Amino acid sequence: MSDNNGFKSGSNLERVLRAGHFAVTCECGPPKGADVEHLEKKINLVKGCVDAANVTDNQTAVVRMSSIGASAILVRNGVEPVMQMVTRDRNRIAAQSDIFGASALGIRNMLCLTGDHQTFGNHPMAKNVFDLDSIQLLDMVRIIRDEGKVNSGDPVEGGIKMFLGAAANPFADPFEFRVIRLAKKISAGADFVQTQCIYDMDRFRQFMKMACDMGLDKKCFILAGLTPLKSAGMAAYMNKNVAGISIPDSVIQRIRGAQKGKQAEEGIRFLIEQIQEVKEIPGIAGVHIMAIEWEDRVREIAERAGLLPRPAIEA
Amino acid sequence: MDKECPQVSAGEILATCSAACPVHTDTREYVQRISRGDYEGALDILLEVNPFPSVCGRICHHPCESECRRKTIDTAVSLRMLKRFVVENTREYRVSRQKKPAERKQGAVAIVGSGPSGLTAARDLALMGYRVSVYEKDTKLGGMLAHAIPRYRLPADALMEDIQDILATGIEVRTGCEVGRDITFQELRKDHDAVLIAVGLAESHSLPIPGTESSGVFLGIPFLWDIANGLRPELGGRTLVVGGGNVAIDIARAAKRLGTSKVYMACLEKREEMPAWQWEIDEAQEEGIEILNSWGPKAILAENGNVSGIEFRRCTRVFDEEHRFSPLYDDSETTQVDVDSVILAIGQKACLDCVSESPVTVDRGRLQCDRSSMATSERGVFACGEVMTGPGSAIQAVATGHDAARVIAHFLQTGETLKIAPRAVQTIGDLPAETAARAKRFERVEVSLTDPAVRIGDFSPIEPGFSEMEALKESRRCLACATGAYLESEAVCAGCLTCVRVCPFGVAKVDRTAVMPAQQCQTCGLCAAECPAAGIALSRFATNKMREKLREMLAGTVAEKISRPFVVSYCCLNETTSREFLREQTEAEIRETGILRVMVPCVGRLSALDLVSPFELGADKLAVLACKEEGCFYTGAEGLLRRRIARAKKFLDEIGVGQESLQLFNTEGSAEQSWPRIWAQLRSAAPDDEVIAAQAAAGGDSR
Amino acid sequence: MIIADPKPFGQVKEYIKDYKRVLVVGCGTCVTVCLSGGEAEVQLLASGLRIALGKNGKNPVILEGTVQRQCDEEFVVPVLDRVRDERIDAVVTLACGVGVNFLADRLGSVPVFPGVDTTFYGASAGQGLWAELCAGCGNCITAYTGGICPIARCSKHLLNGPCGGSEKGRCEVAPNSIDCVWQLIYDRLKKLGRLSELQNLLPAKDWRTASDGGVRRSVREYLQEPK
Ligand SMILES: Cc1cc2nc3c(=O)[nH]c(=O)nc-3n(C[C@H](O)[C@H](O)[C@H](O)COP(=O)(O)OP(=O)(O)OC[C@H]3O[C@@H](n4cnc5c(N)ncnc54)[C@H](O)[C@@H]3O)c2cc1C
Ligand code: SF4
Ligand code: SF4
Repeated sequence: MSDNNGFKSGSNLERVLRAGHFAVTCECGPPKGADVEHLEKKINLVKGCVDAANVTDNQTAVVRMSSIGASAILVRNGVEPVMQMVTRDRNRIAAQSDIFGASALGIRNMLCLTGDHQTFGNHPMAKNVFDLDSIQLLDMVRIIRDEGKVNSGDPVEGGIKMFLGAAANPFADPFEFRVIRLAKKISAGADFVQTQCIYDMDRFRQFMKMACDMGLDKKCFILAGLTPLKSAGMAAYMNKNVAGISIPDSVIQRIRGAQKGKQAEEGIRFLIEQIQEVKEIPGIAGVHIMAIEWEDRVREIAERAGLLPRPAIEA
Repeated sequence: MDKECPQVSAGEILATCSAACPVHTDTREYVQRISRGDYEGALDILLEVNPFPSVCGRICHHPCESECRRKTIDTAVSLRMLKRFVVENTREYRVSRQKKPAERKQGAVAIVGSGPSGLTAARDLALMGYRVSVYEKDTKLGGMLAHAIPRYRLPADALMEDIQDILATGIEVRTGCEVGRDITFQELRKDHDAVLIAVGLAESHSLPIPGTESSGVFLGIPFLWDIANGLRPELGGRTLVVGGGNVAIDIARAAKRLGTSKVYMACLEKREEMPAWQWEIDEAQEEGIEILNSWGPKAILAENGNVSGIEFRRCTRVFDEEHRFSPLYDDSETTQVDVDSVILAIGQKACLDCVSESPVTVDRGRLQCDRSSMATSERGVFACGEVMTGPGSAIQAVATGHDAARVIAHFLQTGETLKIAPRAVQTIGDLPAETAARAKRFERVEVSLTDPAVRIGDFSPIEPGFSEMEALKESRRCLACATGAYLESEAVCAGCLTCVRVCPFGVAKVDRTAVMPAQQCQTCGLCAAECPAAGIALSRFATNKMREKLREMLAGTVAEKISRPFVVSYCCLNETTSREFLREQTEAEIRETGILRVMVPCVGRLSALDLVSPFELGADKLAVLACKEEGCFYTGAEGLLRRRIARAKKFLDEIGVGQESLQLFNTEGSAEQSWPRIWAQLRSAAPDDEVIAAQAAAGGDSR
Repeated sequence: MIIADPKPFGQVKEYIKDYKRVLVVGCGTCVTVCLSGGEAEVQLLASGLRIALGKNGKNPVILEGTVQRQCDEEFVVPVLDRVRDERIDAVVTLACGVGVNFLADRLGSVPVFPGVDTTFYGASAGQGLWAELCAGCGNCITAYTGGICPIARCSKHLLNGPCGGSEKGRCEVAPNSIDCVWQLIYDRLKKLGRLSELQNLLPAKDWRTASDGGVRRSVREYLQEPK
């Protein structure tokens, strides 16, 4: 049920990727309330630097403005959103209804996730839902989009246009299963994939090799996830405490080795080198820069990495 | 007093020690009573079946020890020494408990011979109410115990203790009266309704070899008899004893004590075949006695009618394939030993002159007698002891004495003979090796004998008894076999496997419901403490019984009058070195000291409930006095107890009692040193304000 | 088996503080096995209640008992009889929630209070430890997962593989105590030579057989009395 010219949703991101450009996405976290002004400030910081910006869905299970609401504000402000949706908080009824609403509000990209467990957030006492997992969510949205049927099989009134994304974590365990899981996501409906932030480039290359061997890079666009390190302390903390992220010692040493007050700069320099590196990896279609609470440096990063200006492709 | 576990006394299944004992002494029970400081109770147990505990405490060959299951772990419990400890520490009590017959019955019995068998039968019959007269040809009572066993092993006063106890039953004694000489057998029969022949084996065999008539040749029993009666047979400088049994050893050692410079023993058997007990052989060798094995005497050599030596030939075999005595010799190999005297100790036989002029049948020197009915050829004439059984031990003689009393009583009542069926003894079986392997090893308490150089100087006893501390320590080595855990009711068992998981010995199993095979259970009680269904009972020191007792003790007004703070103290009784704390406390004592002791063999068996319920009964503080650190008999018990206490403390906080009210202590040094300090410390701490407030709030009568 | 944990003592005390004759009744099946509600716990709780309420100057009579199972009429009747004959005015049950309900349905005007917190269906995972193994979803899917249930044993109930929080075989929710069930499933299927099955998509589950389909009943017609 895609456009005549084979587009799934015809979103900017999809068009950039289809055109064979090296895509750039970033993250734009909604506020912990209804502070639109704050959100718009962030939007303006990234505007023109990226092809689309991910809007997180109550990231780390901390309550924030809904990703649909925030995504609509992005649309209003001329930045294309990738609306994230987790299955933690909504069953299939709520999920489908939200997707209809999102589509109606002009949202054309969505990233299907399971979501962080609520024990990590500010409401550990909450009951979770997990009626679906991320793969089942992808599957469900794909069927709505491509077959015009909701999960129960009932027909959809008026189709949706949605470029479907999934996350992949090449660094979690069991390692061999990670590619299988990526393949599952693709067959469930993922059009593009953003990876967890990469620090261990060797392991990532290995992952990509396995993915390419299975032909997955031909079936979907793989964006390498990168997060600039603000300091050696942050690096060490993430390495130790965030499951599924591993930062090699050499990287932490490198940041730590920088002059006083220059660790952030070293982090950005490292990131830019990484962007160049991933560009060379076969099967990589773009980068997803997760500059957490560092939106003000996204422009500089894109600039220095030679990613600007972003291509404008006619619909 | 009730026995703590009826499994042995009432049931058919005996601990191996009791089963091995000819009179089936309830070994485990007396040992357990010792461990609880109840020496009097232990004596009661001994006297139940054995009128000669004092003698047995010294010279019993203790088959119980040979069969003690602790052997599989390390070494047998020193049972004979424990027995001796009991009699030596209950003398007054023993006199006070002397019994007189309850009722008089028709019937008079004459007993010929006052050895252990005769006296046992006499006592039993007297207690049943019959008139009993004992005829003894010697001036002293006791048979071989009095006349043959040398004093260094069995002092006269030890024997006297038993004999006096027996005489207290009202037996009539005629010493110095030899039946067949001083009174005829027929006269005895005329005056009595039954006659028991218990004359033992008083004569020694001689040897059919040349030279036995020479001066300087002695027969074993008369030799010992003389010594026992204060005579000192004239031996030359060198003496040789022919024989390899215990009697021969006694003779050799006695000869040594007479000042003989060189004593030999010569026997047919190889060292390992010698019938004497190993420990007797060892002690003899320590005393410088030289043993010549595998030699058969050929001739006693004499000069001028006096012994000058003895000639031997090699004995190549003693027993035939069927283990019958059938020696073979090699005449080509001979040897000669130059000695001044030879003592023959090759076996004893009965002297049956007493019946020679009566119709009682004697067949080739042996009294005709049916072993199961103990009847001789004459109606109303019975026999017991070694004259019936052949050579044996004192306690075997005692056992036959009991049987004789039964058959005679039956005869007196019914005029009929009674056949005693051999008692089918079922034991709990050996301790399986895999269980033993998990048990901790504990050294047996050994006493040291008098130095050999000193002890050969005279006939003084060579073995010291146990001190109280030693006896308590040794008594705790007893595994209290078959007094362990059992499932009270199958219906409550959920098969939860907790017992299986906590049992340090791999004993508990679940086969639909829990089973703790008595044969293996080490009686630690850990399973019972953790059983969530409260369904496992312990045969001894069951804590539910303890709780009931506590409740009883503190019922009514007692609790109110107790000096505060009132401390209930669970104590590991294994740490005591005296009776001080093993004694039962009086009510007044508890009231005044504010301390209630609850003695437990291992505090590891206390359940969470045991650690909480005393507060319900009015305790202000609860102390658990465990053994020295790492000192527990039961592997793993300490850790479990510590965790259980931690749990109970948490619970005590929750219920408002406060965790500090419960404290675990490890004994340091002995209980007697350590515990009073702990109690003082607990009692001096300021009384808990909350408790006082609560008491006031409850109008003072909440307790 | 059903697993339960003892309720905090204070809660139970609060429930019954105003009653005069209270029966604490244990259950001899699951909660005995998991050490939370058998006779031993009954005795301990009862003793604790007597002590704690005694301290408050109240001295209620606390009676004790345990039955084989509190989820069967025949076993429960003696409890009901006791309540009537001994004029008991409140019951604390240490059975799982099933027992609480079962008694509540039968106790008339006498209140029943829970003495344990019922937690899950699980099994012994070592001495003094129980682990959740089944969620009672009513439509077992373990045929596809090597016999290992991802609904009960995955913190997010994921049916198509581990989330990104699986690290070194542990679940990010509690790395010290929870295994990542997907690691277990992966390892097991590998052993069984069935790894390829992991590529199959397990579709969104029909939860009607779980409690989401309304209160459940289980029927064996052949034993039911004809209507
Ligand atoms: C040297 C020696 C050491 C021993 N050591 C041990 C030991 O360490 N441990 C152990 O358990 N056992 C030992 N025994 C064995 C034990 O002493 C006997 O088994 C036991 O004494 C046998 O008891 P009895 O009643 O059958 O006869 P005896 O003890 O022999 O008593 C028989 C009594 O009958 C009297 N008598 C005999 N004829 C007449 C008569 N016509 N008229 C009146 N009275 C008569 C005798 O004078 C004697 O007093 C030893 C025996 C000996 C000889
Ligand atoms: S351990 Fe005690 S009960 Fe067991 S055989 Fe030895 S003495 Fe007898
Ligand atoms: S735990 Fe102790 S009492 Fe229970 S069966 Fe094992 S050895 Fe016997």
